[in-house]
Amino acid sequence: MRKLLILMVSAVGLFLFYFTFQAAAAVFYTDWDLPDAGEQDENVPRVVLITNETDHPFWRDVTAGAEKKAGELNVDLDVSGIYGSNTEDFLRKIEIAIYSKVDGIIVQGLDNEKFKELTKLKAASYGIPVLTVAHDVPKEESLRKTYIGSDQFEAGELLARELLKDMGTTGEVVLMMDSEPEYFQRKRFEGVEHVLAGYPDIEMIEAKIGDREQGLSTVNDLLNHFPQATSFLAVNASFTEELVKEIETRRKVEPYYIYTFDEERGAYALLESGKIDGVVQQSPEDMGQLSVELMSDWLQKDSQPLDIEGYFTEVSIIKDLSSQ
Amino acid sequence: MKHLQKKIWLLAIVVLIIMVIIWISLTYYNQKMQDQYNQILERYLVMNELNMISQETVTSLNAYLLDPSDANYRTIERRKNRMRQLYEEVTAFRNTDNESELTNYTNLTVSLVEMTERSVNFQISGEIETAKSALNEAIHIADYVSEMRLSVIDKELRTYDIFYREMIDRSEKLTELGVWLLITIILMLLFFTYWFSLRITKPLEKLTESAKRLSKGQFDREIEADSKDETAILAGTFEQMRININNLFIETKQKARLEAELQKSKYLLKESQLLSLQSQINPHFLFNTLNTLSKKAYIEGSEETSDLLVSIADLMRYNLRHMDKPTALHEELHVLKQYIQIQKARYTDRLTFITEIDETCLDIQIPGMTLQPIVENAIIHAVEPSEDGGTILFRVRHALNHVVIEVEDDGPGMTEEKIEMLKDARAVTSEKGNGIGFKNVVQRLKLFNASDDVVDIVSQPGQGTKISLYILKERSGQTYDQSSHSG
Repeated sequence: MRKLLILMVSAVGLFLFYFTFQAAAAVFYTDWDLPDAGEQDENVPRVVLITNETDHPFWRDVTAGAEKKAGELNVDLDVSGIYGSNTEDFLRKIEIAIYSKVDGIIVQGLDNEKFKELTKLKAASYGIPVLTVAHDVPKEESLRKTYIGSDQFEAGELLARELLKDMGTTGEVVLMMDSEPEYFQRKRFEGVEHVLAGYPDIEMIEAKIGDREQGLSTVNDLLNHFPQATSFLAVNASFTEELVKEIETRRKVEPYYIYTFDEERGAYALLESGKIDGVVQQSPEDMGQLSVELMSDWLQKDSQPLDIEGYFTEVSIIKDLSSQ
Repeated sequence: MKHLQKKIWLLAIVVLIIMVIIWISLTYYNQKMQDQYNQILERYLVMNELNMISQETVTSLNAYLLDPSDANYRTIERRKNRMRQLYEEVTAFRNTDNESELTNYTNLTVSLVEMTERSVNFQISGEIETAKSALNEAIHIADYVSEMRLSVIDKELRTYDIFYREMIDRSEKLTELGVWLLITIILMLLFFTYWFSLRITKPLEKLTESAKRLSKGQFDREIEADSKDETAILAGTFEQMRININNLFIETKQKARLEAELQKSKYLLKESQLLSLQSQINPHFLFNTLNTLSKKAYIEGSEETSDLLVSIADLMRYNLRHMDKPTALHEELHVLKQYIQIQKARYTDRLTFITEIDETCLDIQIPGMTLQPIVENAIIHAVEPSEDGGTILFRVRHALNHVVIEVEDDGPGMTEEKIEMLKDARAVTSEKGNGIGFKNVVQRLKLFNASDDVVDIVSQPGQGTKISLYILKERSGQTYDQSSHSG
């Protein structure tokens, strides 16, 4: 009886001790890791990547490539993008980056006076090198160090050649652009024009969407204005989906030769469903990587000259997803 | 009571130590939490203050451009200095998580300061338009500072999110720990107190039981206490006492038995003595016989024989009756006369007994059988050896406090040495008669008078002996209980 009692008491005691210690351990054990008080290495370059439409697959790839490279090269990369494409916000980001005295800015080129002023005056006065990525701006207007991305002229040529292959040498080709086309759009246009110029049976129509003078406030108006069009090239890729939808409401899509760039979100889906005939595929990840690499080189070696014309990444045209 | 005290102290100290440990660790923990919390809060406050000062700097710059007074200039300077200080502080907050945001933030403030300085310089050099545009830029930058502050704080919040959650979780766990601790300590204390009190009370209980047993008279079971403290000492002494009592008890029992046996044997002895006495001749029978013989002799005409027989019978009766009690002197004297009559029948003319008695002395009390042995001595020493016999003078007279009884003979006397021996009542061996008789008389008289001064002997060889006995007229209340007997 007595032994049983002692046994019980010790069992209860052990039980209590166990839980008490458990509870004490839970209270006193600190397992949160607060970030280390930064022994910040002053030599780590702070580079900021500024893009529009950060949630866009294209830009996500650029960012991913840049971040990957930044990790490898020990570069403190700060991705500072905006959702959508609000020019004002975008410029604000650039300005903040400049005033924050980052070591380098990699930015999606924007063919805009304010952008040029910022890069030319502000960035230069703060001694911050600017690289443009994916979309270029004229080098003499922006004082960018270099451009990393597709050769848009070449892309235009590529597209035009593909079109010739598909369509033949006669037809009415509509090139959709912004009313005030950005530099990269102009380059693409030039590329297309360069190829198609040699074919007199092909009529090139420069459709500036949103241009009141042309009477093209929206994509809708395209079909009304150019009922004879046999082919559409989305120089500004973002018009593609709208165009396809618009055509579908009236007639079949198949007879049209529609081409676009991979900047369009739905480009591959449209291609898969056969609604469009080709997508110019760029190499966003390469762009990201290369831009960071070049920036890092520039910052570390300082004197190494960069090719002011730009470093071009691969461009190809995808016609059939299954072939990829 | 050192051991018990030690035990109590030990318990108290153990409890105290546990309490102190708990208190210290909780306080430490609390302090740590508080520090962490304060630290984080301070970060926010400092970061925020940097922003506030930035805005104020722009405001003061604006005021300065509108009114380029010294006071306004000083305000700008003061705020700029403050911004530099805060810059240092905020820079110290950098960690791996917030590095880029924080660097942007601080650099923005630096840009702001630079822009402010530029604006002020333009103002001073008179390029007011440029100064204004610099002000506009400064306003922009201040805006960006404000914006960046939000993202810095946002980042901080995200970084410390774990911490806050952990803190909340921690405080819940602390409550839990408190409950567990409380239960554990209560149980531990109860257990220890029980155990501890048991260690004190158990030996005491045993002792109490032993005491009860002792009080019931069971001395044979050993007293034990299985402890090492004072109770053990108590038990030890108690045990010693028990052993002693037990021994005494056994001893007393044995004595009692022995005594009982002794009593019994004594009783038996008495009985046997009685029986032996009974078996002896009844003295009364002897007196009666002697009296009968006396009457017979008288009837047969032998008057002298009859008288002698009566004397012997009287003498015997007196001896038997009065030996133990003091008697009056006249009674003693009467017996003496009977004795002399008997002796006269024996020695006839050879014995001359002369008495000179003061009758007023005869009422005095003396021990029985005092006179006869003295006179007998005198007859033995003075009359018997001489052919012509002798004379014995018996005298009773008054002295100052005493009655003096003198027995004087005209016998051969004795030496000084012998006189001394007799006076001291030492045993005197005498070829004739009975020295012990004299000694016995002297001793009894000494007891009776309660004094050593009771006998006087005057004698010289060849000139007789005179023995004087002194009897106190008034004895000092002492009862003379004579237990000795004559010889």
